[in-house]
Amino acid sequence: MSQSLDAYLVLASLLFCIGTFGFLARRNAIAMLMSIELMINAVNLVIVAFGAFTPELADRASVIALIVMAVAAAEATVGLAIVIAIYRNRRTPLVDEYHSMRE
Amino acid sequence: MALPPTVPYFDIAWDDLLFLTFGGLMLAAALGVVLGRNIIRSGLAMILSFAALAGIYALLGAPLVAAAQVLIYIGAISVLVLFAIMLTQSKSGPASLVFHHQAWAAALAAIVLALLLVSMVAGAEWPRAVAERVHTATGDVARLLFDEFVLPFEVVSVLLLAAVIGGVFLAKREDTDVPETEAGARQVTLGSEPGGASGRAASGIASATIVAAEDLGRRP
Amino acid sequence: MTTDQLLVTLLLALPIGGFALTALVGRRLYQRAWIIAVGAIVATWLIAMYLVYNTLFLNAYGAQGLHFTLYEWIPAGDFRIEANFAVDNLTAALLIVVCTVGMLVHVYSIGYMAHDPGRWRFFAYLNLFMFSMLLLVLADNFLLLFAAWELVGLSSYLLIGFWYGRRSAALAAKKAFLVNRVGDVGFALGIMAIWTTVGTLNFPEVFERIPLLAESGVIQPWQMTGLALLLFLGAVGKSAQFPLHVWLPDAMEGPTPVSALIHAATMVNAGVYMVARANPLFVQSPSAMWLIAGVGIFTAILAASIAFTQRDIKRVLAYSTLSQLGYMFAALGVGAFTAAIFHLMTHGFFKGLLFLGSGSVIHGVHDEQDMNRMGGLWRKMPITHITMLIGAIAIAGIPPLAGFFSKDEILGQAWKNGFVWVWAIGIVVALMTAFYMFRLMGKTFYGPSNVDPAVEPRVHESPRSMTVPLLLLAIPSAVLGVALGFPIGAGLIEQWMEPVFEGANEVLGRGQAEPFQVLGLDGFLAGASVAVAVLGVLAAMRLFGFRVPLLGLQAKPRPAVVERLTDRLRPLYTGSFHKWFFDDLNDLIFVRAGGLVARGLWWFDVHIIDGAVNGVAGLTQRSGRGLRHIQTGRVQNYALGIALSLIVVAVGYFVAGGR
Repeated sequence: MSQSLDAYLVLASLLFCIGTFGFLARRNAIAMLMSIELMINAVNLVIVAFGAFTPELADRASVIALIVMAVAAAEATVGLAIVIAIYRNRRTPLVDEYHSMRE
Repeated sequence: MALPPTVPYFDIAWDDLLFLTFGGLMLAAALGVVLGRNIIRSGLAMILSFAALAGIYALLGAPLVAAAQVLIYIGAISVLVLFAIMLTQSKSGPASLVFHHQAWAAALAAIVLALLLVSMVAGAEWPRAVAERVHTATGDVARLLFDEFVLPFEVVSVLLLAAVIGGVFLAKREDTDVPETEAGARQVTLGSEPGGASGRAASGIASATIVAAEDLGRRP
Repeated sequence: MTTDQLLVTLLLALPIGGFALTALVGRRLYQRAWIIAVGAIVATWLIAMYLVYNTLFLNAYGAQGLHFTLYEWIPAGDFRIEANFAVDNLTAALLIVVCTVGMLVHVYSIGYMAHDPGRWRFFAYLNLFMFSMLLLVLADNFLLLFAAWELVGLSSYLLIGFWYGRRSAALAAKKAFLVNRVGDVGFALGIMAIWTTVGTLNFPEVFERIPLLAESGVIQPWQMTGLALLLFLGAVGKSAQFPLHVWLPDAMEGPTPVSALIHAATMVNAGVYMVARANPLFVQSPSAMWLIAGVGIFTAILAASIAFTQRDIKRVLAYSTLSQLGYMFAALGVGAFTAAIFHLMTHGFFKGLLFLGSGSVIHGVHDEQDMNRMGGLWRKMPITHITMLIGAIAIAGIPPLAGFFSKDEILGQAWKNGFVWVWAIGIVVALMTAFYMFRLMGKTFYGPSNVDPAVEPRVHESPRSMTVPLLLLAIPSAVLGVALGFPIGAGLIEQWMEPVFEGANEVLGRGQAEPFQVLGLDGFLAGASVAVAVLGVLAAMRLFGFRVPLLGLQAKPRPAVVERLTDRLRPLYTGSFHKWFFDDLNDLIFVRAGGLVARGLWWFDVHIIDGAVNGVAGLTQRSGRGLRHIQTGRVQNYALGIALSLIVVAVGYFVAGGR
């Protein structure tokens, strides 16, 4: 089982779908950001899995995974900063209360 | 102590056992993240999920990625998320407020998407579906990173710097439009400077990444 | 680019540059707003005179004149129009009038407009007009001519409505613009017809091909007549011929220098110029020529009869302008192109002089235009009086002043070319012209003073910037006829115009003009026109008074006789005074009847067209109001939309790809 690429890809798909569900369903902005992290991890898993099963790409897959992590870190920093900034203005972390866009 | 080739009584390979353990743990923790009513527990579940994923990376023969996963995700991002949670939680709201009204639609979408992806994975003919797994030599990765990928590597460092500055700027309290007494009062109730916290955490991540990478670069 | 081409370009660049500069900074120059505009026009005049000298006297550009292309204006597939210009003898003759009168009017305006707060605007418009008019005479293709045609119309509109605060001025500007549009539609259609039949719009090529195409039958005679009449419709509008003559008298609402420049000396001549320029086309259609002659001479007598009874000094001159333009068209119609251009030149000078003189009078009596409130001004405004007298003698057609030569040429040619009826009406018009001009002189300068007693002591001669242009214009009014038209039939003007109208004369079967016979037909015709002119002048002098101490001439006005005559001819008087009710007729046909039609269309517009539009708008609004609910402003709703759409697309892809 652990010798088959399919298993890893299915695992990553499930993780990605859990993340999608969380992003769409959670009302808390931070929970949404966590869901995004889950999705990014799923993608990263796919990259590494493909690398592991393709000998000539193994090193590159690791490099790409590292870079994705760094970018994800940057994304998390800015995202959380925005959440905090909005929270300070609106006094709530619940995203469905942020509907100024409607007006 | 030598282990038998397969797990006793179950007749499955040790690798498979590890895979099932880590995978199950990861998915369960991920479900905990999205379904948990307590946001702090969600954050902690996320750490567990990341840790299990690090194990899978190790299983896939990518020890450097596994190490980075632990350092960056568990060490930095999760801490950052927990900080943010503590800064933004007033009092935990009623349970019904955790999910959106559209949660059922989101669940449906997620399930359909999962079916779609799984059927796609199952239906696709991978060129080397049963190829031998490769173990990645950390030295090779480092050489690649500082040779062929040096430009993306540097660009990422600039991106991180920009993220740090942006984080500090966004989360910084604007004192100008708040009367002094009120600003002081808020400082007391919140205890710490939110912008400072996230900014510091972000710079921590950036330096951790760079230090780790440089460490590896020096090793070969 | 050769020096001459550069000079022609400068001829256009200077006025438009003056316009732009005056428009931009003129307001800041306060009293000196004229400085750029007048400077530009004086420079233009110098260049124009140099070019005229080169063209007419040195014959430097050959018989065909100087043709050159500045740049390609409209490169659109097969439809390629260049901005090309030409200076030939006809253009040079026009340049003399346009630039000289234009320059003098600019100088005159310095004094005339000195007290008007909007003078910077006035000078900017004047420069714009000069640019447009020069473009009109220099253009070497029909489309460029049309553009200039519209530009002079625009400047004319701006200048008639210069005092836009006055309702009558704003209405007159609108009227001029609208009536001109009627003619311009014909002109535009004519140009399109030329493009489709001839395949080019460049003057030399069009005029070269037209006779060939007519000969080979590619253009049928009826098509040629239609073409000529469409172009003529444009000329009728711009040159205010019957039935589009109604705008010109109202255009007198503009400042008097404008009346002199645009509505007497230059712009209204554009129609005459255009017909003369397109002479190879017009001579191909005898019936069109006949109609032109008819319209021209009818306008001449119609306008002259109206001028008899008008009280506004500028309106008398305006109807006189109509009448003289009618003469020019009659000349064109009978095939006397040279005579038409000759009359255009002399008329440009003496009518410009008369208008500027009337402006000086109006200025002197403090903005009074009614001749019944003038009189006895000869003593107080000597320079104005003398110069206007010269203008009046010139227009009356008494030798040796300018008008005699050109008018006699027209009447003589009409007789000789077999249009005796044109001659007959023309001679009556000459009588009337002499009479109403001296009626004007008598009422303004000689009769008892009817000036407002409050103004009387302050009546004064105009400043030097106004009298000097009058004196300068009086010179050509007096001598231009002799200089260009003597000996009659073989003067300088004949030599100048000979290459331009050579082809037309050949088509019409005119040979070389025979030498003037004093004791033959020529002498009789000249004698007849002089006789009627003298008759008209004497009659007017007897009725309205005359006094020139220098010559010892004196006559007292006889208001009682005038009164009795008026009473006896009451119906004619009423008709003439009300301009033969043309304005009322137009009002009935176009304003009342048109108003009814418009009201019907308005109903249709409001209920059917607007109904449809409003219905569509209402539908959109209602559906929008319904659809607004899906715009919640919540990010996650949108994200769900994205996710669901993505799934739909992916499933669709698999279903379609699976087949």
